[in-house]
Amino acid sequence: MRLKEDDPRLTAYALGELDEAEAAAIETELAHNAPARRRVEEIRRIASQLRVGLAAEPAGELSREQRRAIAAAARVPGRPKASRPASSRKAARPRILRRWAPLAAAAVILIAAGAVVLPTLRRPTELARRVVPLARQKATGAPPLDMPGQTGEGFNTEAYDHIVENPFLPVKDNPLSTFSIDVDTASYANVRRFLNSGRLPPPGAVRIEEMINYFSYDYAPPRDGRPFAVHVDVAGCPWAPGHRLVRIGLKGREIALDKRPATNLVFLLDVSGSMRPPNKLPLLKRAMKMLVERLGENDRVAIVVYAGASGLVLPSTTCDKKETILEALDRLAAGGSTNGGAGIQLAYNIASANFIKGGINRVILCTDGDFNVGVTNRSELVRLIEKKARTGVFLSVLGFGMGNYKDSTLEKLADKGNGNYAYIDTISEARKVLIKQMAGTLITIAKDVKIQVEFNPARVARYRLIGYENRLLRKEDFNDDTKDAGEIGAGHTVTALYEIVPVGAEPASRPEVDPLKYQRPGQLSEAASSGELLTVKLRYKLPDGDKSTLMTRPIVDRGMKFAEAPQDFRFAAAVAAFGMILRDSKYKGNYSLEAVAELAAASVGRDPHGYRAEFVKLVKTARSLKTGQ
Amino acid sequence: MSSQGPDDKTACIEAVIGRYERPLMRYAARITGDLERARDIVQDTFLRFLSAGGPREDDRLGPWLFAVCRNRALDVLRKERRMSRLSEAQSDAQASGEPGPPVIAERREVLGSVMAALAELSEGQQEVIRLKFQNGFSYRQIAEITGLSVGNVGFLIHTALNAIRRKLRASPGSTGAG
Repeated sequence: MRLKEDDPRLTAYALGELDEAEAAAIETELAHNAPARRRVEEIRRIASQLRVGLAAEPAGELSREQRRAIAAAARVPGRPKASRPASSRKAARPRILRRWAPLAAAAVILIAAGAVVLPTLRRPTELARRVVPLARQKATGAPPLDMPGQTGEGFNTEAYDHIVENPFLPVKDNPLSTFSIDVDTASYANVRRFLNSGRLPPPGAVRIEEMINYFSYDYAPPRDGRPFAVHVDVAGCPWAPGHRLVRIGLKGREIALDKRPATNLVFLLDVSGSMRPPNKLPLLKRAMKMLVERLGENDRVAIVVYAGASGLVLPSTTCDKKETILEALDRLAAGGSTNGGAGIQLAYNIASANFIKGGINRVILCTDGDFNVGVTNRSELVRLIEKKARTGVFLSVLGFGMGNYKDSTLEKLADKGNGNYAYIDTISEARKVLIKQMAGTLITIAKDVKIQVEFNPARVARYRLIGYENRLLRKEDFNDDTKDAGEIGAGHTVTALYEIVPVGAEPASRPEVDPLKYQRPGQLSEAASSGELLTVKLRYKLPDGDKSTLMTRPIVDRGMKFAEAPQDFRFAAAVAAFGMILRDSKYKGNYSLEAVAELAAASVGRDPHGYRAEFVKLVKTARSLKTGQ
Repeated sequence: MSSQGPDDKTACIEAVIGRYERPLMRYAARITGDLERARDIVQDTFLRFLSAGGPREDDRLGPWLFAVCRNRALDVLRKERRMSRLSEAQSDAQASGEPGPPVIAERREVLGSVMAALAELSEGQQEVIRLKFQNGFSYRQIAEITGLSVGNVGFLIHTALNAIRRKLRASPGSTGAG
């Protein structure tokens, strides 16, 4: 055992959570591992500070009447139900009791296996992506963090990573902005779920890029044989007069469903007890049936389930035997606890065994994300997913249900598997993801798609990328083909927005740093006087390639007003503004939900499936929730 | 419970209230952000203990009460579709906190930055941190209370402590974090 300082077991050890054998093993290691020893001391010091600090938090008391009422209930002989209605008793008790026994057993197994806590999912690339924005913020002197805990949000066990909003960056110091594309849309469906249940979403659940990308935009498909087309537009910014909004739109090549290559799918379905509610397994079964109905004789489907034990429910079966597949789906029932690790292993084995060369090979993981990888080490799982992605078996993740839903875990898994990730809360959402966008969901047409924008300091004073906070790359990563990035599917559109402060738009009276005494900043090149606003560069690889191709697109700002911008542009801006308000972004200015609703309603355009109309409704819901507080 | 006389029961509930009233109030108030609601929820929790016959052993009793309290609080939140006002709860906590003898200024500063770092964490992380360090529950007990897996609880606490550690390092003057 070689313990890293960041190992969760060290934390568990420092807090006295390990049993004797496990603690002894750690101690043996600590004897000759000074950094780990220092970490244990540090954890203990913070723990004792927390104990002291938290002990000082005030606590209220019951009123005298309440105490009397409890005492009176205690005096009733036998089993006093007194004022408690039987129904409410029934509601709370079984839930607790059911949970206890399996959990106690699970704890024993986990400790015995030496995996008390899940090792972190983050690898160096993941870390780099997340560390960059903080480091940059420091360099620019922007306030370090917005505070999600302070914004009066509700309380639940859903796990969302804290998002640090991209700040405005001065072009002088940060001429390059680099990020990975993201076709995920789960955040929008999740935000919708919060709003429809009468609550504002926690800021961490609002990922603006995923909200924007939930909608498809009417970009022209590529005509030059490339896998996707790039469209860049510049217009005014609705929430900050004087600022400019740059939209970068990608459109993946369309592939007709009947021209789709043969498909080898392995459904990996979570049938653990937590999947029992109607918006989980039953919805999942309906969604899967819908997908199977549309597959043909060249396609194969296998079903693996995981719970207490994982198992193969249906060996890989060609889709001319639809009845067999549908029957297998029908027989599924929820029960047991989750062991996703073994299930994933099995699913990948089957996908590899039935690999279709030149076809679509994909594991589709459906879960509420309450992922118990059991004895399987979490980083091993990620390694497996990455390794299989390199062999051509990709992973799609569909999130179901609510309450137990671990958003960030699922996104990371899909990310590692060259896959996409969607959240399904209704049957119409299932139809959108699985049927309407099936080609895109299943067929990756380009992978590791990275965008790097170089801003012209003669034109742009400052800029900020809206959203994509956890997709940022280092500028060096752009040309580094070993650094992976997002995938784009057939027919998919991807949209990114930059808010730009043009040179001269704000008084230059507040230099952030004094001019250097011994150096002069870099000189402008000839191209700076070309009148170009910026240059968009893209790199992508073909799905089976490992060398990237570069595309370059210089952009000139023609001074288009926001009102003259294309309908799609305006709608995307409305979605971005909505996300900024939900996140309580400091860049939202005076922009209100009323303005968003008005703007969105005016730019709905052709809306065949009603997604945009639904958005307008959501904005109004959010407005009434905010004002109703 | 059913074999007990009323006197035993009265003594028992008094002991339970004495031990858990304030911790539960703190917990419920943080979830709902509202003292009145917290009172109702905690009263309900004790009534349920009486009617359902909660466990007596201290290591099971605590998690049992907290789990009932938590479910009840979340039900109330859901039913009333009401946003919790955590920011208010937090500023109350900071304004009226620190009873007892005066502490030396440096110590207060260190504690202040630990608490400030804690306040920046997600709700879920703050919850498990409070269950662990304010109430002294084990990972397993926190798992019982929250319905998370033990592994998830450990992971949440680990990442939360890590986040606090990083914030302390990043903020100047936090000598206590080394």
